[in-house]
Amino acid sequence: MRLYRRMLIVLSSIGLVSGALLMSVNIFTKDRIASNRQKEIEEAVIKVIPGAKSSLRIYEEKDFTVYQGQDEQGNVLGIAINTAAGGFQDKIFYIFGLNAQLTKINSLFVLDQKETPGLGAKITSAEAFLQFWEGRDASQPLALRKPAVKKDALAPNEVNTITGATISSRAMLTSVNAALERIKKLKQEGKFSIEGSNGD
Amino acid sequence: MATRTSWEEFSKGLWLDNPVSRQLLGMCSTLAITNAVINGIAMGLAVSFVLICSSLLVSLVRKFIPNQVRIASYIVIIASFVTIADRFMAAYFPPLSKALGPYVPLIVVNCIILGRAEAFASKSTVARSLIDALGMSVGYIVALLILSSVREILGSGTILGYRVLGTWFEPWIIMILPPGAFITLGILIAVAFQIERKVKQRS
Repeated sequence: MRLYRRMLIVLSSIGLVSGALLMSVNIFTKDRIASNRQKEIEEAVIKVIPGAKSSLRIYEEKDFTVYQGQDEQGNVLGIAINTAAGGFQDKIFYIFGLNAQLTKINSLFVLDQKETPGLGAKITSAEAFLQFWEGRDASQPLALRKPAVKKDALAPNEVNTITGATISSRAMLTSVNAALERIKKLKQEGKFSIEGSNGD
Repeated sequence: MATRTSWEEFSKGLWLDNPVSRQLLGMCSTLAITNAVINGIAMGLAVSFVLICSSLLVSLVRKFIPNQVRIASYIVIIASFVTIADRFMAAYFPPLSKALGPYVPLIVVNCIILGRAEAFASKSTVARSLIDALGMSVGYIVALLILSSVREILGSGTILGYRVLGTWFEPWIIMILPPGAFITLGILIAVAFQIERKVKQRS
């Protein structure tokens, strides 16, 4: 019996001490961790809405968060959608900015992805992929263009694929189109509202 | 064991009992995170922190822990230090914490740490455990540095993000993918054994 009691006491006290230690570590770091996460999203929102100085979350559901970005006077410059595409390996988390009328994509920015380095991971490269999203016409569904096959200029709703990474490119396209459809539907249903004056 | 000098105790982690090239422990994280030098350094420091702290503590409380619950006790101690390292990195180095992802919490089951606790710290004095943990840590960091340098130079043409090979160099993408980890580790272990054999033949 003495051995059992000793086992119990030793293990419980180790558990208690480490529990207390972790609790204090958590109290010490949790605000910083939360603010890091917040800052990361805030920076991304401001990046995809040109001229925006601050952002405000206006709608949220699973893997689909909408922010509005405004300048110093509070004029709304556009909205940003933070969502995820079904990539080759794992979800691709990205954010893209639209003007307030939802007719034009400002720019797109990948937050987190696990695509194949050197191929699918080029979706994070401005030169290879992201630049083609800038200023696309969002009033109609977007389409992909294979730059090696079709040499003529991009149509307003066309985006170049990454050569050798069709799956990742198509995943992004499908997801952006779905997000555009969703946001337009939400707007029609009045599920979110842009706050403040519309300065576009 | 008691006849070893402090230097021998320390240096065995560097070469004779190097955790990566000789003991072949902790392979999962070693293979997974050495695709860039910065990740190797971060992982090396995180493991070192946990290894040194838990070796110290295990050796400090070794006389109070009943034999039957020793593994459970070690795991709780190790897990606490891992969580501290994980939270600390998430708070102060968010990009690193993101790059290492699940491999920081997985240090809990890294065999180097439990191995040293069970095989060494639970039987040795505090001072010796500390020296042993320091040696093992340095050995682990050096091994990760070699692996991650080779993989980053060949796989991306950079080192710590700075371009070292000119634009003529077409990166060998395979080196930053999982097969590159196995290839590099295999070669490293082979070279280490070869050197060891030559040294033995000579003496």
